[in-house]
Amino acid sequence: MPNPHNVAVVAEQFHGSLQQITSELIGAARFLSEKLGTGVSCFLLGHEITQLAERLVHQGADEVIVIDAPQLKEYATLTYRRAVIGILEHLGTPPQIVLMGSTTIGRDLAPRIAAYLETGLTADCTEFDIGDYEHKGKADPSKTGNFKNILYAIRPSFGESLKARILGPWKNPQMATARIGVVQALPLDTSRKGKIYNISVNFKQEDLRIKVLKTVRDVSVSVNLTEAKVIVSGGYGLGEPEGFEVVRDLASVFKNSVVGASRRAVDSNWIGYAHQVGQTGKTVRPDIYIALGISGAIQHRVGMANSKLIIAVNKDADAPILKFAHYGIVGDLYQVAPLLKKALIKMAKQKY
Amino acid sequence: MPDTSSKAGVNPDGTIDRARAKRMLNPFDRYALQKALEIKRDSGAEVTCVAMGPPPAVEVLIEAFEHGADYGILLTDKRLAASDTLATAYALHKVVHYLGDFDVILTGLQTTDGDTAQVGPQIAERLNIPQITYCEHLSISDRILNGQRIVEGGNQEIEVHLPVLITVANSATPLDYKRFADVAAVKEFLRHPEERDKRIRTVSLDTIGANPNRTGLLGSPTVVGKTWKIGDVGGSCIVFKGESIEREVDELMERLRTDGRGVEELINA
Ligand SMILES: Cc1cc2nc3c(=O)[nH]c(=O)nc-3n(C[C@H](O)[C@H](O)[C@H](O)COP(=O)(O)OP(=O)(O)OC[C@H]3O[C@@H](n4cnc5c(N)ncnc54)[C@H](O)[C@@H]3O)c2cc1C
Ligand SMILES: Nc1ncnc2c1ncn2[C@@H]1O[C@H](COP(=O)(O)O)[C@@H](O)[C@H]1O
Repeated sequence: MPNPHNVAVVAEQFHGSLQQITSELIGAARFLSEKLGTGVSCFLLGHEITQLAERLVHQGADEVIVIDAPQLKEYATLTYRRAVIGILEHLGTPPQIVLMGSTTIGRDLAPRIAAYLETGLTADCTEFDIGDYEHKGKADPSKTGNFKNILYAIRPSFGESLKARILGPWKNPQMATARIGVVQALPLDTSRKGKIYNISVNFKQEDLRIKVLKTVRDVSVSVNLTEAKVIVSGGYGLGEPEGFEVVRDLASVFKNSVVGASRRAVDSNWIGYAHQVGQTGKTVRPDIYIALGISGAIQHRVGMANSKLIIAVNKDADAPILKFAHYGIVGDLYQVAPLLKKALIKMAKQKY
Repeated sequence: MPDTSSKAGVNPDGTIDRARAKRMLNPFDRYALQKALEIKRDSGAEVTCVAMGPPPAVEVLIEAFEHGADYGILLTDKRLAASDTLATAYALHKVVHYLGDFDVILTGLQTTDGDTAQVGPQIAERLNIPQITYCEHLSISDRILNGQRIVEGGNQEIEVHLPVLITVANSATPLDYKRFADVAAVKEFLRHPEERDKRIRTVSLDTIGANPNRTGLLGSPTVVGKTWKIGDVGGSCIVFKGESIEREVDELMERLRTDGRGVEELINA
């Protein structure tokens, strides 16, 4: 029988390969579970995925609860909802904490589970901790109390200018989704042993109301975005695929640099998905990030806002990126980039 | 669907600052309104906008009318104050029940202040209907909706029977900042109380039969424990703009030379 008191993680896999967020969630769950003196359970859902359970143990899980069913071959809200509810019912006692990824799956599924359970959910966390909380409850005296060992779900708010600690001490599970690339995964330990439980769930007719016709995903080998010291990214403002020549040219003046891109540039087939920075691409934090013709939509921002130095070139003085970059130049990137290249080379030459 | 939690446009004394009030429609909800109006154009559907917030939030509904929405509901009640997403979704799903029949519910992806993206799916859960989140494109025929949603590295095509809830991606078609409906006509009906009441209904928790214990502070399972400012992310951008690009680049280089960030160390010399 699996331990219902563990910290639970809903694993994410796509067509049989585990997603990066899962190892990060397990890392966070281990940190929390050690403070609580308990273990980590992973929920693994899909079809023909049982072989992934052992890898989750190597990543730090103590137990893996698997539902392997043909209905779960492609992610769909209602079948996965039923599967997670099925596991929670199987456990009987709700886990203290359930973590999911702040991905297009986690942000689709977690709110439904939380609403079903009538419990709290904190979206898009960047840090977690365990601590105490005293609720004074002037306006809601029935909720007053002194709570011990509560999940601190910490997230940016008000356009990233503040951090907030959100608590849900009244009910378990306390649920949260975590942003990709911000919590630390543990080193893989192939000698770790854990328990694996296979359970089944009965899908109802109403669970099959969503038909996934097709999923198109580019899973090309990754560009070394996460290790590069300098990233020069191009966006839709390039206007044409050939624009990336200018991006590459500017990148070439830096040591250890790579080319990045916005989703819109990738969706336009100007460059491969492997270059995409952002919520549904890579999370990066290079020493220098240069954005050429990128507006700075929230989903791009979350992938690069932690870069040490952000320089943006945009012809629109009102572009959001010119609010959160460190330096911004208002102008046509086709004029600015070559001048910038020359000036950077000159600056380096003067130094020596 | 329009968001009203934004404080922009409301003066400290609670009155509306007309010049700024235009911004009250949550930017993410502009994509949802645009999709609703496209559905109306293609199928003749009626568009009803729901706003939950203090009385000045009616401005949001008026803005929606000026774009071509047909009806508006304002849910306003002091007991809604400090609702978290679960409590907000509870209240909004009660409004849907109160309205009766519907085929498609559209919400924005998220709000700019909360940005949780939870309210849409939580309404769908309470209504026990399917959802398509992060939806960019959709088409409806024979009561079947085909939608394309964003996923990591690609897209997914989904088919569902109506009714369904859609959260519209901010990479979908944006609403034009120009009004395309007849602004004068909206002004006109606002002058006639009877017509106005037909188009805009203001309801309280009691009107919609919602349980006040499930809204506001009482109905919210989460609480904000503590907030603190973070570093220099946001708001501190130094923007170079002037008559000549050369000058701008020179000014930037001067900064880079003196700001101690060591940019020159990373350049191939
Ligand atoms: C669920 C979801 C996930 C997403 N994931 C990601 C993601 O991972 N990464 C991502 O980037 N986006 C993502 N997006 C998309 C995001 O919302 C934006 O649509 C996208 O980032 C916009 O790309 P862009 O800035 O290149 O294009 P635009 O927003 O079109 O901006 C182009 C910019 O270029 C400027 N410009 C035009 N011409 C010039 C010129 N000659 N010189 C200088 N500037 C010029 C314009 O002023 C404008 O600011 C996601 C969206 C959703 C809904
Ligand atoms: N007070 C509200 N009134 C009407 N709609 C809302 C309200 N709060 C949230 N929503 C809808 O839910 C979406 C997601 O909001 P959130 O979960 O807060 O990020 C928004 O884009 C709106 O469409």
